[in-house]
Amino acid sequence: MNTPNDVRLMLLESATRLFSEQVNDKVLAAAKRDGWSASLWQTLEQAQLPLVSIPEEAGGAGGTLSDAAAVLRVAGRHTAPVPLAETGMLAGWMLAASGLTVPPGALAVAPALDADRVVARRRSGAWQLSGTLARVPWARIASRLVVLAEGPDGAIVACVDPARCRITPHANLAGEPRDEVALEGVAAEAAAPAGAGVDRDTLRLRGALSRSLLLAGALERALELAVEYAQQRVQFGRKIGQFQAIQQELARFGGESAVAVASALSAAGVMERGGDALLAVASAKIRTADAAREGALIAHQVHGAIGVTNEYALHHVTLRLWAWREEFGNEAHWAMRLARRTQQQGADAFWPTLTAA
Amino acid sequence: MFFENVDFSAIELPPTALKLREEVRAFLTAETAAGAFTPHLGHSEFDAGFTRRIGARGWIGMTWPRRYGGQERSYLERFVVTEEMLAVAAPCAAHWFGDRQIGPSLLRHGSDYLKERFLPAIARGECSFALGMSEPGSGSDLASVRTRAERVAGGWRVTGQKVWTSWAHKAHAFFVLCRTAPDTGNRHEGLSQLVVDLKSPGVTVRPIAFMDGRQSFNEVFLDDVFVPDELVVGEIGQGWKQVTSELALERSGPERYMTTFPLLVELIRRLGPETDARAQETVGRLTARFWSLRRMSLAIALALDPGADSEAGTARASVDLGTEAALVKDMGTFFEREIIDATRLLVELEPSAESSDRFERYLAETIVCAPLSTVRGGTTQVLRTLIARRLLGALK
Repeated sequence: MNTPNDVRLMLLESATRLFSEQVNDKVLAAAKRDGWSASLWQTLEQAQLPLVSIPEEAGGAGGTLSDAAAVLRVAGRHTAPVPLAETGMLAGWMLAASGLTVPPGALAVAPALDADRVVARRRSGAWQLSGTLARVPWARIASRLVVLAEGPDGAIVACVDPARCRITPHANLAGEPRDEVALEGVAAEAAAPAGAGVDRDTLRLRGALSRSLLLAGALERALELAVEYAQQRVQFGRKIGQFQAIQQELARFGGESAVAVASALSAAGVMERGGDALLAVASAKIRTADAAREGALIAHQVHGAIGVTNEYALHHVTLRLWAWREEFGNEAHWAMRLARRTQQQGADAFWPTLTAA
Repeated sequence: MFFENVDFSAIELPPTALKLREEVRAFLTAETAAGAFTPHLGHSEFDAGFTRRIGARGWIGMTWPRRYGGQERSYLERFVVTEEMLAVAAPCAAHWFGDRQIGPSLLRHGSDYLKERFLPAIARGECSFALGMSEPGSGSDLASVRTRAERVAGGWRVTGQKVWTSWAHKAHAFFVLCRTAPDTGNRHEGLSQLVVDLKSPGVTVRPIAFMDGRQSFNEVFLDDVFVPDELVVGEIGQGWKQVTSELALERSGPERYMTTFPLLVELIRRLGPETDARAQETVGRLTARFWSLRRMSLAIALALDPGADSEAGTARASVDLGTEAALVKDMGTFFEREIIDATRLLVELEPSAESSDRFERYLAETIVCAPLSTVRGGTTQVLRTLIARRLLGALK
C-alpha cells in the first residue's frame, strides 16, 4: 500500500479546512480587484503553510517537497489568490539553500521568464542589482522580491524590497499580478552566492512543478463544479447528468483530472528523491497543461451559458487554468526540451531512461 | 474523487524490482540477439517455446504462493516483467491470460484441487488458458450470456457458443462463464465459471480470421460438453462476482497503454538526431503522456499488492480501484492510438505489412489492429459509463 503518512494527512486536513473556510466567491471577487487576498495570507502564515518544505533553521516550517506539493494541490483546488508557491517552493528554497534566512511576509521570485536577467554588482561592500524583469508573479503585493542574479563570479541569490524597484502592474488572465519590474542599482538587503543546486534551470523546473500542482488542484475543482451542475440542472425533463452524452464528457474530464493529479504529485516525489527531474517535471507540466485545455472546455460545455458569467464561480477556476498552463513554460516548451534530450540520447536509451529509478 | 489515499509522490520501485529489471532485460536482449522470436505489434503473439522459457525463469505467476509454483514476489516486480516484455513486443499470448486472469481467479475462488492442478503448470509455462466470455449475443453486456450448464451426475453438461476467444485453437483449456440457473430477473445471479478442457468431446473450435488475414480469434462451440464438478471455479451461482472481482488489475496494467510503444521507439530512431520543432513537440508530448499513465498504473499495482504477509497472494480486497483502472484503460488505449497517428504524420510513407523494415512493418501492424484495444476488455463507452456513475452517483 502507498497511503500518505500521518504528518501529510494532518497537513492536508488543516490546509483543506483553512482554504475551505477562507476562500469563497467574495474573497475571489475582491482578489480580482486587489490582486490578492491579504487576509487569507495572514491566516496561512499563522498556520505556517507558506514555508512547508523550508528547513526550520532557515525560518521555515520543515517538511518535505512532497508535503509542500500536497499543500499546493489544495491551494489550486481552492484557487487561493496568494503567492503560496513563490514564497515557499521557489523563493524560500533559493534563500534557504543559499544559507539565507527567509524573511516574513509574501515573497515574489525572479526571473520567471527564460529571457529575463538581472546582474549583481558589488558596490562598497553591498550587492546592487540591475535589470528588467518582464513578468514577475505577485511583485506589487510581495513584501520582498527574491532574485537569482548573475554576479561577477557566478549566480547570486538576493533579497530586495519591491518598494525600491520600478513596478508596472500587469496581470494574468485571472487577474493575478504578473508585473514588470525594473531594478536600477537596487541594494540587496541580503545576498549570498547561490547554494548547491540553485540555478536557473532548477528554478524553472520548480516553477513548472508548482504550476503543475496548482493546475491539478484547479482541475479537480472545475470537475467538482461540473459534476454538481450536472446533478442539478434539468433540461428536457431530466437532470442533464442522466444524458449519456454528458456522462461521457464528464468521464473524460475525470480521466484528465486524475492524470493531472497523478503526474504533478509524482513529479514532486521524483524531484525530492533526486531522480530524473527533467523527465518528471516536463511530463507533469505538459500533462497538466493538456488536461487544463480539455478540462476547462468540458467544464464550460457542461455549464452552458451560466458558466461564462462574472458572477458564477467557474470562471475563477478556468481563467487560472488558462493562465497557469503558460507560466514557467507551456506544453510545447517542455515537450521540445524533453524531446531534444531524447534525440541526443538516441532511441535505444529511450526505454531505459523512462524506467530509470 | 479518484485515487483517494494514494500518495503518488512516494511511488518508487524497490531495489529488488530494479535488479529484476536488469535480469529480464538481459534475457530479452539475448533472445532478440538469437532471433528467438520475431516481434509483432497489434496481436499478442502465441509462442509456446518462449512461454516455457519465461516460465523456467519464474516470471509467470510470480506473485503466487510458492506451493502453487509462484515466487511470492510483489505486484511491482510483476509490473516490471510485464512492461519489459511489452517494450520489446515479446510473444506473451500463451501465458498472458493464465498469468493475469486465470491464476488470480483460481487463487481467490478456486478449490485446492484446481489450484494444484493448474497453477504450477501455468507458472511453468506448460498450460495455456483462453477466456470464454463473449457470445454472439453478448459482448459488452456480459451478464446476458446464454451458454447453459445442466446439472448431471458428477458434474455439468454445457451447451452454447463463445466467440472472440483469443488463441482457443492453441490453448489447453478455457474459462467458461455460463448460466447454471434460469434467469430470475436479477441477471447477475445464476452465473457460474467452469474450466473446460478444450480437448473435451463436444468442443469445436473454429477460426475467425482478422482483417489482416491472421488468426487469433475463434468461435468455440460447446455441444453437451461434460464438465466434472471438480472443474467448477468457486461457487455455483457466484460467477458474476468472480468475473468482476479481478478487473482492477486487468484493466490497469501496462498492456493497456504499451501495445504500440515499440513503434514510438522506432519512430525516435527513424527521426534521428536532427529533427524539427514539430517532431520534437510530438515526441515530447507522447513521452509525457506515457510517463503520466505509467504513474497511475504503478499506483494501482502498488495499492493492490497484498504485501509480504499475505498467504493467498491475491489482490488486496479492501482496495477498490476499479474505476481508476477503467480510467487507465480508457486513456491508455487512446494513447496507443496517438502514437500511431503521430508516427504517420511525422514520417511520410505508405505502411506495408510485408516490409523488411521493422519501423514500416510496426506502423502497418498497429494501424490495422488499432480498433481492437478500445473494444476488448471493456469498450471505451462502457468504461466511461462506469466512470461517470462514480462521479455523478445515482441520479433520480
